[in-house]
Amino acid sequence: MFSLPPLLEEDIQCMESALDELLQKSEATTALIIDKGGPLITQRGTLNAFDTTTMAALTAGSFAASEAIAGLVGESYFSSVYQQGERQSLWIGNVGSNLLVIVIFKASLGVGVVKYFAVQTTQRIAAQIKKARSRTDENLDLVSLNLLDSSELFKKKA
Amino acid sequence: MAIINQATKELQVKIVYYGPGRGGKTTNLEQLHSNVQNVQEKGKLVSLATSSDRTLFFDFLPIEAMSIKGFKTKFQLYTVPGQVIYNTTRQLVLRGVDGIVFVADSQYDKMAENVESFANLEENMKALKLNLGDIPYVLQYNKRDLPNVAPVEYMDFLLNNRDVQVPSFPACATRCEGVFDTLNMITRLLLHKFINEGTRKVA
Repeated sequence: MFSLPPLLEEDIQCMESALDELLQKSEATTALIIDKGGPLITQRGTLNAFDTTTMAALTAGSFAASEAIAGLVGESYFSSVYQQGERQSLWIGNVGSNLLVIVIFKASLGVGVVKYFAVQTTQRIAAQIKKARSRTDENLDLVSLNLLDSSELFKKKA
Repeated sequence: MAIINQATKELQVKIVYYGPGRGGKTTNLEQLHSNVQNVQEKGKLVSLATSSDRTLFFDFLPIEAMSIKGFKTKFQLYTVPGQVIYNTTRQLVLRGVDGIVFVADSQYDKMAENVESFANLEENMKALKLNLGDIPYVLQYNKRDLPNVAPVEYMDFLLNNRDVQVPSFPACATRCEGVFDTLNMITRLLLHKFINEGTRKVA
């Protein structure tokens, strides 16, 4: 499995624009892009109603579990997972080997609309990641960080 | 692997606490959550546990460190379920791991479980096509306050007996002793790794 390449401004802009378009067309509430390991990459839409960091970690775990279940029934993976609620529902779509798109929408909207528009979104994001991966100067120059600062990065309360 | 976002000047790192069941992995995260200071942002500690407080899937604690030279560093701390039966779950939690804290139980009668859990970690890393030698990790010898503990040297012999020895820390997680030393060392090793790799690439 490839790891996610370093992301530049243009990568994030592309992802955000793809999510904005998805939200506008589908009328979903919130959309996130997360790494399959759990970290949140970017988010758009209504954000103050959710703890999106925790949501990213839990969704990554949930999707990973669904992939393991897919293996048990002879599938290599499930391309998407739908979680239906009474007021809010959630759709998780696979983007290549590293990322997931999470879309939160009112349950009354129906998952079909979200899925329909999300296909284009996931394709756009996958294409941008491919582009990011093809860059040669892919490592961030962290030489300027002062290592002495990191020895006591976390301090215990007195 | 670490997420490097140059647009927002963020580095996101995943650290997994691994080890035998009831060894103190969740307690480490609970103590960090209760006692950490000087962090920019501390998220909620989320525990997916059984009704008897055994970890079922994972515990999760996001901590954002003070920015280092303009870079925000977000650490995501996870634990795995220690019980032997949950091996598939441990593999899932290890996905995208950057650094590992192996929490061993210092009691003499737990040595076999420690060794078995460490071997299981190596196997799971292989299953994910990762090599433990390439991932920074540290050892924590927990429960040093109990009466029947093995000497640190003996635990080093069992768990740290390799060409390159990794840092190990005696700890009593319930009293928050050794918990911060362990976390600070793994973060230091991780930042060293990123800087060295960056330097190699630039050179």
